Formats: sequence, structure tokens, C-alpha cells
Amino acid sequence: MEQEYALKQELNLLDPKGLRLFIDEFEDLTLDMKDRGTFKPVTAMRAFPITDRDRFIILKDQEGQEIGIVRDASDLDPKSRAALIAELERVYFMPKITFVHNIEEQFHIPKWEVETDRGPRVFEIRSGRHNQDLRSLGSGRILIRDADGNQYEIPDYRKLDPVSQTLIESQI
Amino acid sequence: MNTETEEATPEASLQEEVPEEVRAGLNLAPDEEVRVSLSTDIKLDGHYGPAWVLATDRRLLAFSPDGEGPPDIVQVPLSEIAEVEVRNLLGSGALKVRTAREGATIALFSKSLLPKFSKVPDQIEALVRQARPAGEEVVKRTVGGAKTAQKRCKQCGRPIRDWLGVCQACLDKRKLFARLMSYALPYWGLIATSLALLLTATFIGLTPPLLMRSLIDDVLAPAGGRVQTVPSAQSLRNETLPARDGGERVPLSRGRGGASKLSILVTLLLLVNVSRNALGAFRSYIMSRVGQRITFDLRRQVYQHLHCLSLSFYNERETGRIMSSITQDVSRLQDFISEGLQEVIRNTLTILIICIILFSINASLAALVLLPTPFLVWATSHFSKRLHDIYHGLWRRWAGLSALLADVIPGVRVVKAFAQEKREVNRFEGTSQALLTGELRVARIRSVFAPLMTFLTSIGGLLIWWVGGLKVIGGTLTLGDFVAFTGYMWQFYGPVEALCQLNNRFQHAATSAERVFEVLDTQPDVADRPEAIPLPRIRGQVEFRGVTFGYEPGKPVLKDLSFVVEPGEMIGLAGHSGAGKSTLINLICRFYEVSEGAILIDGHDIRDVTLKSLRDQIGVVLQEPFLFNGTVAENIAYGKPEASMDEIVAAAKAANAHDFILNFPDGYDTFVGERGARVSGGERQRISIARAILRNPRILILDEATASVDTQTESQIQEALERLIKGRTTFAIAHRLSTLKNAHRLLIIDKGELAEIGTHDELIAKDGIYANLCRLQTELSRLKVW
Repeated sequence: MEQEYALKQELNLLDPKGLRLFIDEFEDLTLDMKDRGTFKPVTAMRAFPITDRDRFIILKDQEGQEIGIVRDASDLDPKSRAALIAELERVYFMPKITFVHNIEEQFHIPKWEVETDRGPRVFEIRSGRHNQDLRSLGSGRILIRDADGNQYEIPDYRKLDPVSQTLIESQI
Repeated sequence: MNTETEEATPEASLQEEVPEEVRAGLNLAPDEEVRVSLSTDIKLDGHYGPAWVLATDRRLLAFSPDGEGPPDIVQVPLSEIAEVEVRNLLGSGALKVRTAREGATIALFSKSLLPKFSKVPDQIEALVRQARPAGEEVVKRTVGGAKTAQKRCKQCGRPIRDWLGVCQACLDKRKLFARLMSYALPYWGLIATSLALLLTATFIGLTPPLLMRSLIDDVLAPAGGRVQTVPSAQSLRNETLPARDGGERVPLSRGRGGASKLSILVTLLLLVNVSRNALGAFRSYIMSRVGQRITFDLRRQVYQHLHCLSLSFYNERETGRIMSSITQDVSRLQDFISEGLQEVIRNTLTILIICIILFSINASLAALVLLPTPFLVWATSHFSKRLHDIYHGLWRRWAGLSALLADVIPGVRVVKAFAQEKREVNRFEGTSQALLTGELRVARIRSVFAPLMTFLTSIGGLLIWWVGGLKVIGGTLTLGDFVAFTGYMWQFYGPVEALCQLNNRFQHAATSAERVFEVLDTQPDVADRPEAIPLPRIRGQVEFRGVTFGYEPGKPVLKDLSFVVEPGEMIGLAGHSGAGKSTLINLICRFYEVSEGAILIDGHDIRDVTLKSLRDQIGVVLQEPFLFNGTVAENIAYGKPEASMDEIVAAAKAANAHDFILNFPDGYDTFVGERGARVSGGERQRISIARAILRNPRILILDEATASVDTQTESQIQEALERLIKGRTTFAIAHRLSTLKNAHRLLIIDKGELAEIGTHDELIAKDGIYANLCRLQTELSRLKVW
């Protein structure tokens, strides 16, 4: 009998000890591996951008071929981790909404005036797409995609002030 | 496509006004010319706020304020720029510049500005070209990803739905109202009748308090009631002084005259009641009739329009939501169209008349009646606004619930196969719970609202009782006046409340109206051109001329396809999944319009012919054939309802369906059930082939027609298909390449491009993608045999 097929073999995990990530003078993410040499520029993608941001990070080379998976960013050495997280934060720009001033709905186009951790912002959500563009993920977490494709997050709307809560509740 | 609203942002100039402090901060040389100046909405530190990118005739500059500290300034001499890149990131965009030695991000911007910034690399390249001596290598330019294609209204900049041609906000509200009323127009006769009835009933309804007054003052009080309240001294005076209201009549109404007057008044009151209710009943029947007719018209119109709309409309929306638009929104409108306007007229009129009567009876008391009115108005509008907001959310939750049902019920087999019933029940419960919370909130507000209203009005009532009572005791007001007064007072508050709520009712109807009109106003992407001609009976030559197409602008699925298929030729389409095979077929059927290039059938551009004449000559057999709830015969004849029995049976025989159909006890009259659930996959497939044969199309499309059946059934279907193919231009998609063995030529599509075209032998000789696919499949089949 052959050994039972292990699904885990499919994973192309990278050894966190055998790699170094840094941002070079071109502001490109560069990957140095003990056994496979240098890749640059490297694209980093989150496999679970919503549920688990710092785990299962896929690294791809210039041609879009997968180099491998970093299972957990916290296994990396601090410098590599900082470089990786910085790159990811830049790619996945998603401000957190901290306060909602007003949500004015006209013709089914809700216009949000909010404060985020990146400063004030006004945006509109496309009409009739509440399900796709205003995703309620349970335990109060909400992801918003505005009409132009910008994304925002509310980590837990129930922890916001009452004014914001009431406004948000009218939308979900 | 509507060109007016096509572009995401209005054509933005690449030279924006630069604030003085930015100019000052950048230390521009006096003779330095600013060629490009763009503002961004994200600063280089990742916070929202204005920052600037400037290109002069010698430098590329970035200016980004950084809180209290000095601004971030990046500058790159034009002569050193080697590469300019617009990065389309997942939540924003970035402009990156490289020189030979280093690289830097010079601007961050939100996706809203992507269209503007995607033009920057070209601009900078042009500037560099001017600055550098000729002959040197030019700048490498890359623009990552597609432009955002969100349509925005040209007038107000609001986002518009992809499939919607008009901006809802720029539609006039009055127009909306007028448009709603236009649905009532055909029934104007009935509506006028009902309005007349309504007004009559309202006037009649206002008389009882007056009759009551006369009853009390003229009949009851003189008979004894007044003796206690009016001292005899006053009645003595009455004989000498000019009569005050009713005083003169006092002596007249004593004795037998009183009884006859009583009978007259009571009869009158009875008549009023009878006529009022009779009129009301008659009117309510007329209005329901009108209302139902309007709903019927509107529903039919919406459904009819839904069928005109292109597939892209359906891809954008959930089925449950489309259904709720047809059913709920339309019925909600009915109420407003038929009753809304009449309510306004009735209530305003009632309030006016009552005011006049009240003030003519006693001005100071009338003022008292008006006293709680402002509170009433405030409370009603406040509460109904809140209720409206909650209802809005509630509506959304209801829609969510139906969307959930529409999603899960058809997928019940998967649920059962993976034993996830419990999970689905929980999911439903979650949605249902949200609904419950909302409903409870409505209930809470309502339970406060109603008693509060009663309280407010009863305060008015108490005031009247107190002040009016004093007046009656003091003799300045007759008991009859007083009773009439209280009677009118109660009739007064109702219409006031109703008018306050009317605004909300209007809002409510407007919301529904918008939703319905939104569907009605959606222009199909694919529609007959005004000059479209019917396509004559074709031979079946199909030509693709430089066809490019993408479901979303900027993301082409097919790129520059050009080929000619001769009449009667069978073309096998092969390629990896997602290569664009099905898209190609969608384009031949003209489910979507090509983005560039043209598709010609017998030399006719398919955009110049009518859709019906085109699709009449195309037969489609899909991988998952869809049968409608009906009999086998009806399903076979779906594309040709006038087909005779001979034709139906012949088609079934040609499709190798005849034998199994006869095995059903009901034969051709067998009901196939919803979506054909009562017949097997292979049987469904053969019924759908019969359907295609019956139409006798010139062009035949087989989309994985044998993918989901067993080998034996496949050979039967294959045989049927061979009969069907003869003499027709055929496009067949198949993953099992053996199915394509009869194909005259094979068309291999790879990543949206035409990779290979030729006969089986040619392609094998070429040893390309097709040869590779073949090898793989032979290996696979060898495995199967073994």
C-alpha cells in the first residue's frame, strides 16, 4: 500500500529561517533565499486578506510564478517581517473608520462622511450593491468598498460611539 | 452604451492650480516651467490629505505635507528617469519612478484618481523626450491593472450603476411624481368619480356635530336640560334682549314641537350615517379597482422590460432582489398613486372647513384647539421619520432574507450532500434574527407613538372641557355649541396627523418608484439599432474581424480575434478553462456587444441586424440544459411554439430522445417538473437537442453538450449531434477532445488570444498547445482503460 496522500504536501511553504526580505534602494521588495538565490521585485499577496492578514502570505516573482508561502509573518526575523508588513500595508491600503459623521442617502447612493485612522474621508457606495459593497462579517466587523473601489474597514462597529452606531445600523 | 456617462471622471486636465505654499515649498527656479501638476488625495505618509506631483521642464517633484513637520519633498531630474510606473494596488494606487540607481514612490492616491494618474507616465515620457538629447532610450512606462470603470454622472458626479444609463439624482422629483401620476391617467374617469364621492362624503361627515348642536340646544336643553344651567333671570332677560345664539328659539321648542324636531334630527343623523358609509363603500371599491389595475399595468411593464434587458443586468443583481422589485415595490406604489393625492385633498379640505366652523362658533376656544397642533406636527414628523429610517433598514433585511432563500433552496442538493442542513438553518436564523430585531424596534417605537399621540390630543380635549365647560357654566356658550365643538375637535387632529405622515408616505412611495423606474430606465446594452434590418436567411459564414471584448472595460477576455468560418463548417473550440471559449460563443449570440472589431455573419455586421432575426437562426445546446416547467412536447417546441406534432416527434427521433420519451407513461405529455428535475441529465440534454433541431438553425452552438453524461448516453447524444450538425455552421466547445473528432477545423484559444487554428493533423504536426492537450488526454484515457 502506498502511503496515504497528505494534502499538506501541496503547500509550498518557505522555511522562515532560510530567507531574508528587505526593501531595496528601488523600493522593491526583495527576497534572498539561502538555497534558491535572490528574487526581485517580489510581489506579496495575502491569501486571507480579510480573515487573517499576517498568515499565508504568498510571494510571487516578476513573472507571477509563486515562489512559496510564508506561513506566518511572525516567524520571520524582525527586519524581514517589518519589510514584508510594510509592503503588504502599502498594497492593501484599507483605512479603519473611527467615527461616522453622517450618512446621507439620496437615490440609494449612501454618502458617508467619516473619520479614519488615516484622516477624514467622504465616499459614496454604489447603489443597490449593499450586499457586495458593504459586507457585514459578524461580530461587528464591516468591510466597505466605495464606488471607486477604495476599501475601508470598521473592526467592530459596536465599539464606536452611539451616533456612529446608529448611522451604521441604518445601513446594515 | 451611453457615451455621456462613460468616463469615470470628467476629462481631467493634467495641469491643476497649484497653491502658493506648494510652489514656495518646492523652490522652483524663476524660469522653470510647470508642465504637469496634479493633486492627490493621499499623502506619502499614508494619511488622507492633499499632496502634489509636479513635473517641470527639468524635474519631477513631489510635495507631501507631513503634519507639523516639514513636508516630504522628492525630486528627480527628468534626465535621470528610467521608468515611470502606475501601480494599481488593492486599496489605492501609487506612482513610482526609477532611475538607474534608485527608485521612489512619488505619489499615493485613492482609486478614485486612478484614471487621472494613469495618464501620467505618458506625459512624463513626453517631457523626458523633450529634455533629453534625441536618440537616447526612452522611459519605460507601465500602468498596472485597468482603469476603474465606475460610471459617474456628468452633472453631479454621483456614481451610477454600470447597467444604468441615467443618473437617478438628476431626475427631477416633480418629474418622478408626474410620472407616477401618469399611470393613473387612463383611469381618470374613475378617479374623478371617486374624488367626487370622497368630497361629498367628507362634507356629509362634517355635518353630525352641527346636527348634534341643534339637537341639544334646540330640542333637549329647552326640554329641561338647560333649566339647571341657565338661571331664570337670564331667560327673563332673553325675552327683552336681542337673542343670542339659540336664545330666541327657547320658547318655541317646548312641548310637542320638540318631539317632532327630535325625530327630524335623528332621521337626518341616520341619513348622514347611511349615506356616508354607502358612499365610502362604493368609493373604496372603485379605488381598489383602480389601484389593482395600476399595479397590473406596472407589473406587466416591469416584467416586459426585464426581458428586454441584457444578460449583464442579471449578472449584476441577485434574483431575489429582482423579484422583490416586481412584486413588493409595485404594490407599494399602487397605494400612493390611487390614494396619495386624494388623501392630500381630503385632509387639507377637512382641516380648512373645521377651522372655519370652529372659529365661527368660538374664536378663543378654537385657538385652544390649535394649541397642541405644533406638538402634534413635531411628534408625528419626528416619529414617522425614525420609523421610515428603520423601515428602510427592515426592507433591506427582508430583501436579504429572500436573497438567502433564492440562493439556498435551489442548492439544496449540495446542502444535503455535504450534510450542512444545520448550518443553513443557523444562517437563516441569523438573518431572521436581524429581521426580528428590526421589527421589534419598529414595534417599540410604535407602541410609544400611538399613546403619545392620544395623550397629546387628549390634552387638547381636556383644555376644551375645562375652558369650554367654564364658558357653558358661565352661560357664554351653549351646551350644543360645546358638544359640536368637541365633536369637530376630534375630527381635526386626525387629518393633521395624516398630513404629517404624508411626507413620509411620499418618501416611501418615491423610494419604491425609484427602484421600479430604475429598472424601467435601464437601457439594454444590447439592443436593436434604429436602422437594424432583419437578417435574411443566412448561409452561415461567420467572420471575426479584430474582435476584442471584456466584461469589464480594460480587462479584455478576448483579444483581437480574427478568423473566418465557412458555411457548413464545424469548428471545435478548445483551450484551457477560462480561456474565453464561452465568451466567444456569447458574442456570436450577441448576448454582449464586442468592445472592438466586428462579427460578421454572411457579411452582415451582427450589430446592424435585429436581435430576433439573428437568434432565430442560431441554435444553442448548453452543458446544463434548462427545461421549463411543462410537458416534454412543450419543451421541445419552446423555440418554435407553432410546431406540429409531426415536427416534434421527428425532432425527438433525430435527437435520440423518442425512445425514452415513450417509456414515460405519459409519453410526450410527461411533465418534466421545475427545471426539468423529473428527467435525468442525459434525457434533459436530448430534449434540448431536439429543441435545437426543431428550430432548424443555420448556426449551431454546442457548449460542452456531452460533458455531464455517461459514455453510453454520450454516444447516443453524439450520434444525434452528428445528424444535427450536417450542413450547418457549428461551433462546438468540448473538453473531451474526442468529441471534436468530426470538426473540420480546430480553434485553440489561449488567454483570450487565438493561439492555433487548423485541422487536427495540422495542429498535431505543429506540436503546440493542441498537440499537448491531445497527448494529455490520451494518457488519461489510457489510464481509464487500464
